Amino acid sequence: MSDIKLDRRRFLKVSAASVFGTGLVLAIKWDELPADNKNGLKNASPFQPNAWLKIGSDGRVTVFVVESEMGQGSSSLMPMILAEELEVAWDDIAIQRAPLKPAYGYQATGGSSSIRKGWATLRGAGAMARQMLIQAAAQQWSVKPAECYAENSQVLHKQTGKQQSFAQLAALAAKLPIPENVSLKSPNEYKILGTSVPRLDIPGKVNGSAQFGIDVRLPNMLFATTVHCPVIGGKAKKINDRKAKQIAGVEGVYKIDNAVAVVAEDTWSAMQAAKVLEIEWDEGANKNLSSQHIKKQLENAANNHAQVKFQQGDIGSPGAAKTINAHYDMPFQAHVPMEPMNCTALVNDQGCEVWAPTQSPTGAKNTAEKYGFSKFSYYLGKVSRRLNFAERDVVDVHTTLLGGGFGRRIQQDYVAEAVQIARQLKQPVNLTWTREEDIQHDFYHPYTFHVMQGSVDANGKPHSWWHRIAAVGQASAAQLPYAIPNSKIDLASVDIAVPTGPWRSVKHHYYAFAQETFFDELAALGKQDPLQLRLELLTDPRMKKVLQLAADKAQWGKPLAEGHFLGLAVHKSFGTYVAEAVEIALDDQGLVNVVRVVVAVDCGIVINRDTLLAQMEGSVVFGLSAALKSPITIKDGRVQQNNFYDYPILKMSEMPRVDTFIVKNNESPQGIGEPAVPPLAPALANAIFAATGSAVRSLPFSQGASG
Amino acid sequence: MAQFTLRINGQDHRIDAANDMPLLWVLRDKLNLTGTKFGCGVGTCGACMVHVEGEPVHSCTLPAIAVKGKNITTIEGLSADSRHAVQRAWVALQIPQCGYCQSGQIMTAAALLEQNQSTNSNISDKTIDTTMNQVLCRCGTYQRIRAGIQLAAKMMKEDS
Repeated sequence: MSDIKLDRRRFLKVSAASVFGTGLVLAIKWDELPADNKNGLKNASPFQPNAWLKIGSDGRVTVFVVESEMGQGSSSLMPMILAEELEVAWDDIAIQRAPLKPAYGYQATGGSSSIRKGWATLRGAGAMARQMLIQAAAQQWSVKPAECYAENSQVLHKQTGKQQSFAQLAALAAKLPIPENVSLKSPNEYKILGTSVPRLDIPGKVNGSAQFGIDVRLPNMLFATTVHCPVIGGKAKKINDRKAKQIAGVEGVYKIDNAVAVVAEDTWSAMQAAKVLEIEWDEGANKNLSSQHIKKQLENAANNHAQVKFQQGDIGSPGAAKTINAHYDMPFQAHVPMEPMNCTALVNDQGCEVWAPTQSPTGAKNTAEKYGFSKFSYYLGKVSRRLNFAERDVVDVHTTLLGGGFGRRIQQDYVAEAVQIARQLKQPVNLTWTREEDIQHDFYHPYTFHVMQGSVDANGKPHSWWHRIAAVGQASAAQLPYAIPNSKIDLASVDIAVPTGPWRSVKHHYYAFAQETFFDELAALGKQDPLQLRLELLTDPRMKKVLQLAADKAQWGKPLAEGHFLGLAVHKSFGTYVAEAVEIALDDQGLVNVVRVVVAVDCGIVINRDTLLAQMEGSVVFGLSAALKSPITIKDGRVQQNNFYDYPILKMSEMPRVDTFIVKNNESPQGIGEPAVPPLAPALANAIFAATGSAVRSLPFSQGASG
Repeated sequence: MAQFTLRINGQDHRIDAANDMPLLWVLRDKLNLTGTKFGCGVGTCGACMVHVEGEPVHSCTLPAIAVKGKNITTIEGLSADSRHAVQRAWVALQIPQCGYCQSGQIMTAAALLEQNQSTNSNISDKTIDTTMNQVLCRCGTYQRIRAGIQLAAKMMKEDS
């Protein structure tokens, strides 16, 4: 393996089984192999047919995983796809983080895209290895490959029952040419996919051995924390670090790009010293920014500056018997993954090494290249490595487990800070933010304002629909899934200094809330049943099916317990259809108690059933936190929330029962990490509307319903 | 600065730390026992839960020096081989997602079950709610944690 050239490209043709349409041939690019010998390891891996797996002479199959593991399960689900085609026993699977090599492309995990992106490649990779192992066995037995099959980490000969294990065949298979074509199994032959095999990352997560970014420990390592200007976009002008440096264990205070860093022997001392830094800030242009001001700007933009995104019919056409107007607004939300932002870095003459809990190792590498060196020394390093044929690049990124991501860790600000600090030190440094910095310096789910106008005809059926959205940053919309004769969606992107970014389910969260909640208002205006009206107007049969399933399982239309009410919503995102029915109980004081959430999901082929259920449960909780808990608010240019005491998230006693029902089919598999978030808030709002007759038009609901 | 001895997972450790340094940071940064997590620093999220004489405490707000000489158990010392009933239940029900809060969840649940075992009663959802409200999970594993505690309770009864 050692002489494989880095720029070699291989292509493999994969013909998918007939359910995906005959004649579909995918060309998959193979690149150089992530050979172990690059790390000086001489382990038993005689067979490594492509970049995605290696098989040792002990039969262990190591799958290279590109995806960042943040709890969504990709580090087990991606190997399941490969294992299915390889016909390997799940117990023989091990995983290894894929290195930052061209074979794996741009490494970033987000947008519920892992399965969609890896589905063809990993099946092809597994099938290729299986085919070569079968070939090796056939050659040994002097029989035709077609007479052999693989099962449970063995190759067997149909006629004679002869068998050899993958371990025995690996060395011979490695000598065979890479096949040009492989064929894939059809879904009715699946043994692993759709089952609930135990996840590989869980054992380490029950005994403290799982290593997150914050847990990286290196010889001679220092610890750091950073302080940012409380006013968004502000910078340090003058730093008085006299008191900070008096704290035992403090090594130094450094001004870096957008922050002030304190370095100490331990994190606690760094955080204590950060508290007594006297910093004079240049607060910049945003010191008068406030949520009220932002809301006004958004309202103005939605009303006056929104551009047409989608249009059919004419919303002004005659035929409206009754019209309704409503404003919806949703505040900024923070991600608050339980592991605060952190990164470990070492910059020395050999280059830069980064250990990061990041959703994007490639993004982290690019960031470290930018901030870890002067341009001159970076290019000098590049050139000298090339001349010396060095295996390691100037920057190497080690991706750890992520203690939650939710979109926050697609950003690289904490990497930029860690490498800047490391540049000053020449020894490794573990940077950890306080929770306060984490909450106040996030890339927030954007504040949005929605102007809704709808009308019904004389029969109470929707006649027109007009949804205008203004968002901080880039405004975005999904499609209107309802066949309403006259409909229009307009967008206005408003440039405001508050940093925004992807947050679990991104645009779908705000879009679905306004759409699905207003739908019930429109249904009520026309005296229609919200379920029946949706079923009438939905055009996509898969959407109807999940909706009907959720409604049936929640006993829609049947008598509920005294004081209980139901609300429904349905939304498609990241390729997956999810309907939710939320059952609430109103107590004597009119307080809402969420009793049960029924989730119906169609994500196509299910990879791991239990992980699908877990993602539905987790998404419901994420949605409930946004619907019921505190928003992020801005005053005097500052985020007003500090920690979990004033930015609470859902806790155990507030957890409703979640029952998930899966629509089974053989459609290609889609995302599962995010699609169950968007329907939650509107389904809950619709339940409250059903209970009280007052529409809920703002998140979080604790701020009160508007009539 | 003070010098004192901490008894952690049955082993004595000589500590040299500031008087106000919380147990959490002594564990993580001085002893490299990183299974106990930092989540909020103010005792609101429970990721830092450890046992002191069997009682669950927030190690992020507890000065280490205050527990010198006491028996401290961290997630690393809950069992030698991940065979504590709570750990087995957590694996059986595939509870962790990102896993970051789970040391805190497991330590809090284990203390609850130990206390409950001495009373030999069934654990009510209300007890679980009040106790487990101390530990936050952003991934949303609460439903499984509730089931996990009941399963662990059953396992403990069968074991005893």
